[in-house]
Amino acid sequence: MADPPLGSNSNNRVRLGRSSPPGMPRWVKIFGLVTAIVLVVLFVILHLTGLGGMGSHH
Amino acid sequence: MAMAPRLRKFALTAHVTSSVGWLGAVAGFLAFAVAGVTSQDAQVVRAVYLVMDLTAWYVIVPLCFASVLTGFVSSLSTTWGLFRHYWVLLKILITIPSSLMLLVHMPPISYIAGVAANTPLSIADLHGLKIQLVIESGAAVVVLLVATALSVYKPKGLTRYGWRKQREQRALSQP
Repeated sequence: MADPPLGSNSNNRVRLGRSSPPGMPRWVKIFGLVTAIVLVVLFVILHLTGLGGMGSHH
Repeated sequence: MAMAPRLRKFALTAHVTSSVGWLGAVAGFLAFAVAGVTSQDAQVVRAVYLVMDLTAWYVIVPLCFASVLTGFVSSLSTTWGLFRHYWVLLKILITIPSSLMLLVHMPPISYIAGVAANTPLSIADLHGLKIQLVIESGAAVVVLLVATALSVYKPKGLTRYGWRKQREQRALSQP
């Protein structure tokens, strides 16, 4: 978190006169895709090695 | 929620301190977890798990709660908001599940520390749980690094809600 974003040179300002909402930025889509892949890989690794699940704790 | 600039700076300082402290504490926890798996010295292994339990309960958990709380305060006291920018939204989506995962995994940490306190832990004892602690603390370090990078870079991108709010504010500010 930081100070308010509405400075004159902010990257987060919406272009003037835009009437439709902006789409999801590409970096968010890539971030989501990478996160999903990492989660699936982790899930598979933990279960293949028998480390996953609360049952392995005791 | 408007806040005086000094109070806002204080909240931001508390947020940065607790968040970076949380990352540092988890990195230390990871080092202990690796030592617990690799050390051949039974005394070292016992000591490591006792220290990990103390670190988790008295450093990591408080810093985690402080980071989440001060993050909400900082967001709500500025025009960043909670749901207006994708980077803030993603930070929330990263931090809240991480905090819940931390709480879910506290009992196993206390369990292994309890075993270490009562019986000598050899390298073979509870091997699965030891490896699991290494993997989970390593993943936590990566997740917290991502959250830190998001805070520093603040990649652009307004959500639909943020776009609507910004238009409303513009409309109000124009004569």
